[in-house]
Amino acid sequence: MGTGLILIGVILVVGFFLVLFVIGIYNALVTLRNRYKNAYAQIDVQLKRRYDLIPNLVETAKGYLSHERGTLEAVIAARNAAASANTRAAQNPGDASAMKELSGAENALTGTLGRLFAVAEAYPDLKANTTMMTLMEELTSTENKVSFARQAYNDSVMAYNTRREVFPSNIFAGMFNFAPAELFVIEAAEQREAPKVKF
Amino acid sequence: MDFFERQDKARRKTKLLVFYFIVAICLLILASYAAVFAIFGRREVIDSFGESSFTLWQPDLFLWTTLGTLIVIGIGSAFKTAELSKGGSAVAQMLDGRLINSNATEANERKLLNVVEEMAIASGIPVPQVYLLENEAGINAFAAGHSTGDAAIGVTRGGMQMLSRDQLQGVIGHEFSHILNGDMRLNLRLMGLIFGILCLTVVGRVLIRTRGKKNPLPLLGLALIVIGFVGVFFGRLIQAAVSRQREFLADAASVQFTRNPDGLAGALKKIGGLESGSKLESAHAQEASHLFFANGLRSSISGAMATHPPLEERILALDPSFDGEFPEVAPHVAQPPPIPPVEPRRTQPPPLPPPLPIFPRAEAMGAGIIGTVVSAQALLPDIGQPTTRHLQYAADLRKSLPESLKSAAREPLGASALIYALLLSNEQSAREKQLADLATATSDPIVDETLTVWPETQNVTMQMKIPLVDLALPALRQLSPAQFHEFRAAVRALVESDRQIDLFEYMLQKIVLRHLEPNFVHAPKPVTQYYDLKPLAADCGVLLSAMAYAGQEDPAQVEAAFARGAQLLSRIAKTEIPFLPKADCDLPRLDNALGRLALSVPQIKKNVLNACAETVAADGLLQGSEAELLRAIADSLDCPIPPFIPSASV
Repeated sequence: MGTGLILIGVILVVGFFLVLFVIGIYNALVTLRNRYKNAYAQIDVQLKRRYDLIPNLVETAKGYLSHERGTLEAVIAARNAAASANTRAAQNPGDASAMKELSGAENALTGTLGRLFAVAEAYPDLKANTTMMTLMEELTSTENKVSFARQAYNDSVMAYNTRREVFPSNIFAGMFNFAPAELFVIEAAEQREAPKVKF
Repeated sequence: MDFFERQDKARRKTKLLVFYFIVAICLLILASYAAVFAIFGRREVIDSFGESSFTLWQPDLFLWTTLGTLIVIGIGSAFKTAELSKGGSAVAQMLDGRLINSNATEANERKLLNVVEEMAIASGIPVPQVYLLENEAGINAFAAGHSTGDAAIGVTRGGMQMLSRDQLQGVIGHEFSHILNGDMRLNLRLMGLIFGILCLTVVGRVLIRTRGKKNPLPLLGLALIVIGFVGVFFGRLIQAAVSRQREFLADAASVQFTRNPDGLAGALKKIGGLESGSKLESAHAQEASHLFFANGLRSSISGAMATHPPLEERILALDPSFDGEFPEVAPHVAQPPPIPPVEPRRTQPPPLPPPLPIFPRAEAMGAGIIGTVVSAQALLPDIGQPTTRHLQYAADLRKSLPESLKSAAREPLGASALIYALLLSNEQSAREKQLADLATATSDPIVDETLTVWPETQNVTMQMKIPLVDLALPALRQLSPAQFHEFRAAVRALVESDRQIDLFEYMLQKIVLRHLEPNFVHAPKPVTQYYDLKPLAADCGVLLSAMAYAGQEDPAQVEAAFARGAQLLSRIAKTEIPFLPKADCDLPRLDNALGRLALSVPQIKKNVLNACAETVAADGLLQGSEAELLRAIADSLDCPIPPFIPSASV
């Protein structure tokens, strides 16, 4: 009689702990996933702001850079590509292919923008234009905000991925379909700097 | 009944609640024993004389059952409570809420955020996180969290889209009353306890799966499931009884805030007229049903099990002319007409807010500046109960804040920069040193951003600073843990590099860090430790001395100001409140004192705040800047004072 009761007690307690343990792991994974998705929302807002600014910038520059049609069109094309990549990434933040596409599109956009700024160097009138100055100022500030938000996003993706991979969470991560999340990487500023145009 | 009495009452109610639960758990243990006995027990006992007798009492069996039941319920409750200790956001995420970005631009989301922001400024608490329950088409809302720092408000998609601004304001006012009355903590504790009882059924389910010949375990499992559900039934009964009462209270409070019964009544009528009403889809709805604005459960249970009073009754309390006929509300109003960018206001457009006088900084306080004044005793009764005047004032204040600062406060980088800028010194040399320290603690873009924001913060008046900080908090909660640690280090560097920091700026950074830390650092919940003023006499001495030095220049006046506050407290504490020399009122001591005072019961806090008010207003009048200092101190004691309204004349 005594052993029977003890056996039941042990089964009870072990089973109970196991259930709570799994619930705890599941909930922790959900929390971390929500956190990085929320963090992406911050990037999204700033990227959209950036995509809204660029057409204005191009519109302002157009009057001065009539001979640089190609550069301007490249900027607009890159901006459109990045905007659509962002729409896709925003639907499913952390999705590997969407994030890679966004990184690529963002790098391309930064590259073309860099070229535009380099070209603009040669046009003192354009550089002195107040609209242009405020737009560029705004763009820099937005880029700072993007990189700050990106840092927060990457931090939370790292926390999520780590939790996903360590034992014993990894057993349940697979079971409950917690896919790994992708970082949002943009190449270092030195590399993406457009080559200075020499005349 | 003032704020402190309501806090006291909430505390007493929690104790009563715990008592009910203990009774329920005792009954559950008895029931479990009966089940275990029926399955395993020997009814025949052979006593020492070799005679067998019939018994229902087996001490060892009872001991094991009691132990088992207590372990299950105890650990279950502890588990859930630990999960909920992450604050309101944990509850919101459990219910599939999506955090609304503080810089959202979508018209409906913006409207909701604006309403919440105004209400927060009006009651003097940080703006809570706002979650949207996207999958819920009904009209409902909830508030959850432990303190004002980790509070979250959730609104269903239906609620956000279908309610007008006034109605939304009524609903949000109702939720704020839950936040201010200490209902949230009570609610979370309830959820934890009920989950513990529910765990009995979880164990039952585990047992029912076991196999084997002559295995009695499935039978025990079945019994446990039944017992668990009966237990949960009684748990819900308690839950419902507590909840119903609180809902009426919150309705009344909401009307008191907004002074517009039509808004709240309109929202309730819309719920009645809508087919999906206030029903919730989430699987966790039942667990959290008592958090919600209106009954969220599918079946419309009434009577003892209902967590909410009937709609009709609630409407009648607000609108006696209600005839019981709900207006027809079409559910597909889902896409309301676009809201004009300028929000419609309830009353005629207010005259531009009176230009807020710029007050000199604290070191110049008490130099006989003519400002708006109010008697100290007029300020304190408002604690925790903003009125319609405060709401109007908050709306105007929010409008008059510079647009650039408002938009900075809404995203993480800008919000950090804003806080740094508010902490920068006015003196060139000190500021340069601070900026150098900031640059070492953070990175260049942040310093740049701070310098962009700084000129604008120079025009910010004293009265705007606390609201600005409150507005910036939702964005700051979005920092990643690494960014938060950097932020905290930078804030401390700014405070320490400026040896001349004034008390108000010090309190400002304390507000920021105090409300942010629960989101990033896991600290044990503070437990009330002081029920008597006597052991806190030294701490009161530090606080009152510091306030006296902040307000007065002349040593004699300092002492006189201190004495005014001290005599009030020494009478209650029945001991001397020590006056400290200026050198002893340093920040670590003050910090320590405030920390200890925050752990006292509400009535002590009330007396301490009264004494503080007496001290800063030693000249009989409370100036704007002094009132703000008092608000900051009160905030660190968890007593939100609504903004001081400069209406009284000199």
